[in-house]
Order: sequence, then C-alpha cells, then structure tokens
Amino acid sequence: MTGQKNSSRISFGIAFKLGVILATFGVLASGLTGYYSYTASRNLLVKTAERDLLTSAQVLGRRLSIALGEVAKDALLLAGIPVTARIAGAPDDPSGDPRKTAIADTFAALLAVHPEYFQVRLISTDNNGMELVRVDRDQDSLKRVVGVDLQEKGHYPYVFQASPLAVGQVYLSKIIINHEQGAHSGLDKPTLQVATPVESGHGRKLGLLVINVDLNGLFGLLKADLPGDFDVFLTNEWGDFLIHPDPSRTFGFDRGRRVLVQDTFERVSEIIQGQAESVLVNPGASARQSGESVAAFAKLAFGDVKARRFVILGLSQPLQNVLRETRLLGINTMQMVLGFSLLAIILSAIVSRAMTGPLNMMVRAAKRFSADHAIVDLPVTRNDEVGLLARTFRDMQTQINARLTELYESQRDVDHIARHDALTGLANRLMLYDRLEHAIAASQRSGRRIALIFIDLDRFKEINDTHGHAVGDKVLKAVSNRLKKMVREVDTVARLGGDEFVILFDSIDDPREIAIIAQKVIDGLRLPLEIDGQEYRMGASLGISVCPQDGDNATELLDKADLAMYRAKKAGGDTFRFYTSVAADEGQLRLVP
Amino acid sequence: MPLTNANRHLLVGLVLALSCSSSLALARETLRVLTWPGYADSDLVAIFEKRYDVTVEVTFVSTDDVLWEKINAHEGADFDVFAANTAEQTRYIDRGLSLPLDISNIPNTRHQLPRFSDLKSIPGISREGKVYAIPYTYAEMGLIYDRKQVKEPPTSMAAMWDPRYKGRVLAYNGSSHNFTIVALLLGSKTPFQIKDREFKRIVDRLIALRRNVLTFYSQPEESIELFRENSAALMFANYGTQQVEQLRKAGADIGYVIPKEGALAWLDCWAITRGVRNKRLAEQWIDYTLEKNVSSALTKRQGLANTVEPATSADSSSQLIWLQPVEDFNLRTSLWDRIISGDRPEKF
Repeated sequence: MTGQKNSSRISFGIAFKLGVILATFGVLASGLTGYYSYTASRNLLVKTAERDLLTSAQVLGRRLSIALGEVAKDALLLAGIPVTARIAGAPDDPSGDPRKTAIADTFAALLAVHPEYFQVRLISTDNNGMELVRVDRDQDSLKRVVGVDLQEKGHYPYVFQASPLAVGQVYLSKIIINHEQGAHSGLDKPTLQVATPVESGHGRKLGLLVINVDLNGLFGLLKADLPGDFDVFLTNEWGDFLIHPDPSRTFGFDRGRRVLVQDTFERVSEIIQGQAESVLVNPGASARQSGESVAAFAKLAFGDVKARRFVILGLSQPLQNVLRETRLLGINTMQMVLGFSLLAIILSAIVSRAMTGPLNMMVRAAKRFSADHAIVDLPVTRNDEVGLLARTFRDMQTQINARLTELYESQRDVDHIARHDALTGLANRLMLYDRLEHAIAASQRSGRRIALIFIDLDRFKEINDTHGHAVGDKVLKAVSNRLKKMVREVDTVARLGGDEFVILFDSIDDPREIAIIAQKVIDGLRLPLEIDGQEYRMGASLGISVCPQDGDNATELLDKADLAMYRAKKAGGDTFRFYTSVAADEGQLRLVP
Repeated sequence: MPLTNANRHLLVGLVLALSCSSSLALARETLRVLTWPGYADSDLVAIFEKRYDVTVEVTFVSTDDVLWEKINAHEGADFDVFAANTAEQTRYIDRGLSLPLDISNIPNTRHQLPRFSDLKSIPGISREGKVYAIPYTYAEMGLIYDRKQVKEPPTSMAAMWDPRYKGRVLAYNGSSHNFTIVALLLGSKTPFQIKDREFKRIVDRLIALRRNVLTFYSQPEESIELFRENSAALMFANYGTQQVEQLRKAGADIGYVIPKEGALAWLDCWAITRGVRNKRLAEQWIDYTLEKNVSSALTKRQGLANTVEPATSADSSSQLIWLQPVEDFNLRTSLWDRIISGDRPEKF
C-alpha cells in the first residue's frame, strides 16, 4: 500500500515538475514578448503623439503669427487712409467733425467683420494721448465713444512705446487684462493691443492707430480645428499662464498670485531660460487634473524682436486618449498572451506525459516483475533512450527469470532428496513424519480416522545375503513399485530404511477396510518378483495402528504399528496385526515386547 | 505689506521641518505663530525651540486678507501670536481679537530705536492707554532718482509733478497710497482721512500726475525693467529698499530719498491673539525676535529694516508716516480706476 502511494507520488512529481517548468517557460516567453511589444507600441504612440502635438503647437504658432500679421495689416491700412492723418492733425473740434464720423464708420465696419477685435481707436500723440476716434464692442453691438468719455492714454505702453516707431512699424503689447474703465466688452478681458503710428504727409507723427484684440476670441478662431481633447496653453515669457483650460489659472499676476507654467510642466523652464526652443513633457501633470497628459511647448517670437520678446504656446492631450489605441492593443496582446500561455500549458502537459508515460510504464513493469516476475509490455520499440532503457530492462528481467528458474529447480531437487528415499524414490522417514503430522492435525479437525501399516519384508535378509546387495536393491525397488500400485494416489508409501516400509492412509471410514487393504498388500507381496530373469519369493509382516484410538502423535502411532508388525512376524509372518487387537489379546504384553 | 520675494524653497523646507519636528515632539508645549515668509526662518525658530524646550508651529500668509481670515476663523483660537501692519492692527483691536500687552514682559523693547520705543505715538496699535502690538519690521516708500538726470536730489514727492521730468516719472498703480501722498503734499494733517470735499482737488492733482508720468507700475520687477528701459528720472518706491537694492544690483546709478513731508511706511507688529494658550511663551517669542541677531537677520536676509538697528536708507530724523486705515478704501479704488483709465478732470 505504502509502496503504491510512494511510486505514484514520484511519477506525479516528475510529470508535474516537468510540466510546470515547460509551462513556465512557455508562459514567460509569451508574456515577455507580449509585454515588450505592448511597451514598444505604447512608446511609439506616445512619441508620435508628442511629435504631432509639437507640430500642432508650431502650426498654431504660425497661424497666430499670421493672424497677428492680419491685425497689423488692418492697423496699417486704417493708418494709411489720408483722412486719418488729417483728423489726427486737426485741432480738437467739439462740435463734431464729419470726417471723424466717416472714420468711426470705417472702424465699425472693421469691428463688424472681426469679432475678435474689442476696440479700434485713433489716439493723438499730443494731449497726453487723447483718444480722437474710438469704437468699442459692447456685447453684441458696436459703440462709438465721443465727447467727455474719450480718455487720455498717454501713460499706457501701447502709446508711449508705439509712438517712437517709424511709419509702417507695428507695436504688439504684452498680453494683459484690460482694466481701462469704459472699455465696454474689453473690460477685464485678456487683451492684446496692436498699434501703429499715423503720419502727416510731411513725415510728422500725429497719432496712433490702436486695435485691441480679444485674446480668447483670437484663440477661439485659431484652435477651432484642433481635436477636441487638445488643451491649449499660452504663457508669457516668464511662464505666467495667459490661456489655460482652467481660466482661474490665467493672469495670476493680475491678481497678485502668479501661476507659472513651469510649476505644472517643469521642463518648460528650459524655454524660459533660453535653453530650448521647444520641449516635450511626458508624462506631465494634466491640466484637467485627471491623470497624466502628453504636452508640447514651443517658443514663439512675439512683439519687439530686438528685445527678444516671446510667448510660449503649448498643447496637451490626456495620455489616456493617446493610449486609447494602446488599450485595445493591450487587450489583444493580453488575449494573445493568455492564448499562448494556455497552449504552452497544454503542450507542456502533453509533453510531460509523453516523457513520463514510458517511465511510468516501466515503473509498473518493475513493480509487476518484483511482485510475480511477470514480464509485461515495455516500450521496447522506441528508438530513443527510453526504448534503450526498456530493452535493457527487458533483458535484465529475462536473465533474472532464467536464474530464478534454475534456482527453483535445484532447490526442488535438494528438497526432493531431503524428503525421499534415494533408492526407491519413496518418501523417507522425514517426509512420512511430515505427512503423518499433517494427517493427525487434519483428522483432529475432521474426526476421520487415519491408519498406518508398518511393513517388514520376510526373507529379504536371505535374498540380500545370498544374491548380493545389488539384487537386494532391485528387490526393494520392485517392492516399492508394487506397493505404490496397490494404494491410492493420496496414500503415502514411505521406506524407513532396510526392508521396512510404511503406508499412511490419511482418511479411512472403517478399520475393517484397512484389514482388507492389509491382506491385499500381503497377497501382493507374496507374488514372485522377477529380477534379471530370476524369480524371488518373499512375504511380509504388517502391523497396523489407527488414529485416534492408538495414539495421537506420529512417534506413538509409528511405534505402535511397529509393535503390531513385530507381533505379526512373531506369529510366523505373511500376516498382519492391529495394535488394538494385539493389546486386547496380550494385555500388558506390548509393554514388554 | 508682505515680502514679495519670499524664498519658496526655504518655505517648503521650513514647513517640512516643522511638520517633522512637531510630530516628534507632541508632548511638548506648542507655540502657534502666524506670520509672513521671512519673518520666522527655520534656523532661528529652532534656536527658540531649544531655548524654551517648546515646539513652534509657523504658518505663513501672503496677504492681509488671508491673515484676517485665519485669525478670525475661530476668534483667534487657532494661533497664539501673529504679525500684521499698523493699518491692519486696528481692526483686530476693534474685534477684540488681540490682547493688550505688558511691555515689561518683553524687555528687549528697551533696545528698540527711539522711533519705535514710544509705542503710544505709533497709530493703530494702542487703545485706551493700552498697547496691543510691538513693532518688528518696516519699509518706507521713498523716492528713487537717477543721479545722471537729476542733479539735485529731490526733497519732496512734488518732484513727480515737475514738468522737467515729464514722461520720465514712474508712479505706483495703487489707489490708497497715491491719495494719501497727494493729501500729504496738499498739507493735510490727516492724509488717511480725506474729507469728501477734498477729493476733487486730489483727483485733479492725480490726473496731473498721470499726465506727467511715463506710466504706473505694479510689481517691483516690472518697475526695475521700466526704470532701466525707459531711462526714467524719478520713481516712487512703493517697495522701498527692495527696489533700491534691485536697481543697484542691476547697475543703475540711483539715489533714494525720504521726502521732507515724510514717507509713507508700513510697519509690521507682533500681536497676541485672545485665544493664546500660553501668553508668557508668546511674549517670549516677541522678545526673542527683537534680539539683535534675530532682527538683523531680517535685514540681512530679506532686506527689510528692523527696529533695533538704524536703517541705512532713512536716517532717524526722517519722518516716517505709519500706514493707517483709510476713510473709504472702495471710494479711493473706484476713483483711481477712472483716473488711470484716462478720464479727464471734467468727467469727475
């Protein structure tokens, strides 16, 4: 039982270990391949997205430049109208100059077609930068500002910095929040001022043409065809956000609390410090506060070229959108990895079984062989190591079986010699005792009687002495054969030595039956024996003991049969005596033979 | 007026250091300080903590409004000691958020400059004979001039109206101080309390100023840039010595004067909240900050004047006018917004 358990555990162990190792290799290989292809694709996607973002940012920057160029063209166009110069040069006329109305109409027309313009003004360079003609956007309508509502703007940069410019040059202001009271729609809005000088025919600078641009309106137009998930950032050259998806983070400096791009996108500081023209930020904190994003920032020259003014344009895209395709790829890869892993596991199981199957077969064969020396089928036809092992094992089995057979045979001989009489082949005393004891034991269980007939040949000594031992031996053999023929197969005929024989009947029903057999033996032995062409005559004296009435052990029964035989011999031979009857006839006599 | 150039890294480090030390020393007594960046540097705090075997929790604020909110939140129960300027102290006293102080418990006040030792003369920190705050640091708003363009150092803010400097003056884009300065120049004894009938005249003067300046600035860095790029001759130094230092560092040849009519100055003072846990410890803190090495660290590290050493910029004779609450902040703001937008006198 224990052996069975051990061996099955061992065979399971080999199969299992081999299977696990193979499956692990398979799973690992497919997993690693999947992982690396996934990572590579992911990186590729991110890189592509970054490049796209940077390109988009640069394109957006170019479009911003073009858009600003368009604004500048509008300003130059208006500044170039001769009537503009004439108004700028004329003394202030409170009664209302029809030429101003005409110019105001032109301004209004421009505002009407450019929703991204807040305000168009003609400002005098004298009189502290007094506004001469001003048209504001006021919600959905346009409003011309006149009279006392016109303001002095000389202290604003778009006046004092634009005034020194030559005709044809254009000033771009910093992008600020316009806090100028009375600016209508433009009040408190992110604004960019574009200004250009107005000159008289004699080259005297008379005023400025100023267009206020709505930064958000401008960008609304510019980014209209960007993908919806793109976030647009614009910062000034110090990194203050001007445009941000979260408007509360823009123009922080205007509220005394700066919000800088480099605090969110650290690498942008490289642009601010002049170390880079553009940077990619990946993965960066998302502007939308939900996960990471991929972002690209590019520097864009803006305004005064000599002073190297610039702004930074940025675009970002949530990383998860970039990786949306990766997720599909990831799922596919995962399915593939799982599929291949499953395949690897199944294959490993098959392979490990194929490998351990023949081994198990040999284990079973070895077990069978050690149990009953049976030779069972082995995978001897295989051409591999297993086949060789099986063949070697089979040869070994065959050899062991041959040796065992020899051993059994010689043992059987020895056994036979030990338990048989060498001359006659009959059972000897040892075997008789053995059989007798078995018979006694069996009779005690079954209640059936057993009988012993002790035979002593009469006149054998004379034959032996007269004709020699060789004849004597032949006589003894012939007697043996005759005795064996006279009894049943189951009865034991033994030779105790000399001319003494014993027949054991281990199952008799009636003692009278034994008397008949005894008489048959006497009659049989009385017949002449022919040996080497010469006849010999003998007789026999028989003594019979019966179990259980005469005793219950082998020695006693044999002694009593011997005693009875002695009585028969004494009576002249050629007769038999029962021990019982001897005892009955002669009383104490048997004790004193 | 807070320090605008607070050292961010120092701040972060300090907060970290404090949070660590406070978690380690829960059993010790804690002093809760609410103040401005630069007023309680971690190394100086550590010395105090060691000396009195206490933990100091420093919380920084960057505007007067946040300071007000934090002290007001639980009637001062969240903090023991705080720093606010003279103009702000009044409302804390009005609300009963700060406690009268026993000056004898703060012996280092004896070593303060004469200007600060007569506490009753400083507006806004006394009430009914009791002192509620101790001066710690200040900055005055003098006049910066370019030595090359201005041969004679100006003696009055009136120089900003001088037509000789038209288009070369930089003024500050702030309503409150500008109104006060003009009132001062017009000889008002109560420049923080302008009467309704006086406003029109002051507005006219401010429009005149607008017509004489190049422009108005808001940030100190912006002022430096404008001053240099436009060869300005005069500049009202709203940020005081901070601007002087920055301009000198940038290589400008400038002078700095406190005008004869006096310079506006903010003066930050320590006060103790009514929710103080250990008043004695709070007093020890104030006393500690008035020690010479602590106060002079403020000057060395932050460029702010302290109250124990004579300042380099303004000598002791120059008149400093400590800020006080103004009569109507909103009115000044709305008028100023119109002035700077370019409205002409006839619109007012």
